Amino acid sequence: MPRIPTALLRKARTIDAFLPALLAPCRDLHTAQNELRWLREHVEKVAKARRAKRDTLVKGALLGQLVRERAKGKPLQYLLGTEYFGDLEIKCRPGVLIPRQDTAASVTHLAKLVRTAPNLPAELRVLDLCTGTGCIPLLFRHEFTSNRKDFDLRIVGIDISDKSIGLAHYNLLKNERIIQARAGMTNFAKADVLADPFGDLTIGAPLPVRSMLNHNKWAPFWDILISNPPYISPSAYWKTTTRSVRGFEPKLALVPPPKSKFDDRQQGDMFYPRLLKIAEEVEAKIVLLEVADLEQALRVAQLAQKLDVFDGIEIWRDEPDVSSSQPTNEDGFHVYGEGNARSVVCWRSEGGSWLGKSSSPKPPELLQDAPEETSSNSYWPPSYYQSNEVNFNAMPRFMWKRHMGDQRGKPPTRWRTPKTRWREPA
Amino acid sequence: MQLLSPITALVRPRITLSSTVRHALHNSAVLLSKQLPPRRVIPESEIIENFLKGSGPGGQKINKTSSAVQLKHIPTGIVVKYQDTRSRAQNRKIARKLLQDRLEEHELGDDARTRVKAREKSKKKASSDKKKRRKYRALEAGKADEESAEELEGVEELEGDAEVESGDAGKSVGTQGKREGVDKAG
Ligand SMILES: C[S@@+](CC[C@H](N)C(=O)[O-])C[C@H]1O[C@@H](n2cnc3c(N)ncnc32)[C@H](O)[C@@H]1O
Repeated sequence: MPRIPTALLRKARTIDAFLPALLAPCRDLHTAQNELRWLREHVEKVAKARRAKRDTLVKGALLGQLVRERAKGKPLQYLLGTEYFGDLEIKCRPGVLIPRQDTAASVTHLAKLVRTAPNLPAELRVLDLCTGTGCIPLLFRHEFTSNRKDFDLRIVGIDISDKSIGLAHYNLLKNERIIQARAGMTNFAKADVLADPFGDLTIGAPLPVRSMLNHNKWAPFWDILISNPPYISPSAYWKTTTRSVRGFEPKLALVPPPKSKFDDRQQGDMFYPRLLKIAEEVEAKIVLLEVADLEQALRVAQLAQKLDVFDGIEIWRDEPDVSSSQPTNEDGFHVYGEGNARSVVCWRSEGGSWLGKSSSPKPPELLQDAPEETSSNSYWPPSYYQSNEVNFNAMPRFMWKRHMGDQRGKPPTRWRTPKTRWREPA
Repeated sequence: MQLLSPITALVRPRITLSSTVRHALHNSAVLLSKQLPPRRVIPESEIIENFLKGSGPGGQKINKTSSAVQLKHIPTGIVVKYQDTRSRAQNRKIARKLLQDRLEEHELGDDARTRVKAREKSKKKASSDKKKRRKYRALEAGKADEESAEELEGVEELEGDAEVESGDAGKSVGTQGKREGVDKAG
């Protein structure tokens, strides 16, 4: 990092004694002045709250301490305890990744596209894997319900970290009034996205996503799957993340775990095959996956294409909603918006029309796995339930365990029936 | 518009006088700023928005605190930038207001709300400076010995509101305000 010019430091000092220290993390004077103002406002707020408790507080000392911590690189969001995510103010705590503006831009764009769709199911289900603070479910609900209030929107956020699930619940509580949580449900639960649903379960280890849904008596089918998973490879972690990110944000949220025989790049991409597999299992109609850059976006898009279940795949940049710009073409995929490539979007069946894509969906026989859903519910029972015997060979493999786990030997028709297998948030 | 004459004001009980006058003035002041035409909403198609993020990697790799927004109005080339709140959503809204103001100045010149407001403000200030000088003269003359800053402020506010009225009403109330202040002091 280049050194701060002495002249700039001197100028900062003449404005405010606290400013020079803030130039290190902020780099420019205007940002430093803003941060100092926000820290001061925070100190005032803290002082007010403490005075109510008849506590004495030296404001200058507190401000000095905050400025020192900030100068060492501690994220402002951890010092102030919140970050803005779209219209929402999300609580932040060390140990849980701070939400990023880029993520908010994609989620807002998706929610805005979908909320105007004419043919949505009466109950729309959204699954957010690797939810962190819970920012994505909360913002999606906020944006979606801002013009579809009575909609039955059911959103579940999943994370492997207890700290994250605790914070997500707290954020739900804090934002309840703004996001009008009354219609539908929002909930969070712990599960391991990487765990193999068919592997042996270790006692005490977090459940695979599917088992967790089952355990909570939540639906096995989800219309939209969103994820901002850890996507930074070990070498990129050292070379491309900022000091503040490396020094203060949890590595668990940024770098996928090492695995034998995986090279650096494969490790960075580790979540995507699992996420796409889960998308297939839950029969997601729209999948939104955040990525680090165009190279990773193209790798993920190709991976999705190979699965052969999606009708369309495209890439969104940091600001996907810039209406003036025309999509570019990269390796056969359309890339929309401006900035760095930020997410891969896949859709199938009605998902295409929810996104406003005019192309007609693939005919059902081309979709290999899983019965195709139709609005009339007439697809039940699918072929493998047609006789009294359940034909496991005709059934998609991912349903075996689910079916056997059900122990009742009956076709699980209730799974598509809204509201019966849902547990409302406590 | 004819407000209370100074004589009436003097014989009335002070509290009633003060609240009545203040009320009347306040209403008219609000009315005046309401009289400005509503801001013209600029179609988004006329705006180029830029979040000034530089060329860094973005995403998980950086945790920025600045969410600066820059807007360029294509037809006029006017550019505004705003970054004072932590919320990008908020910065975007405020930047659009700023752009509307700049555009209005561009189109309406001296009739733009920013100009009208600036004139009101400088008028208020000039008037209150005048009052202050009078007040201090009065204080020095020994007509009053003690006065709290708050009371002084109250008088100024009253006079300030009066100024945005028409010339006449402003004058009469201004006088009254001064007398009130002096009464209080004595
Ligand atoms: C990049 S953060 C994203 C957080 C949040 N969605 C956001 O956008 O701010 C990734 C999250 O994945 C979680 N995570 C890491 N490994 C996981 C796993 N195996 N299963 C589920 N979640 C995991 C981390 O705890 C972290 O909260």
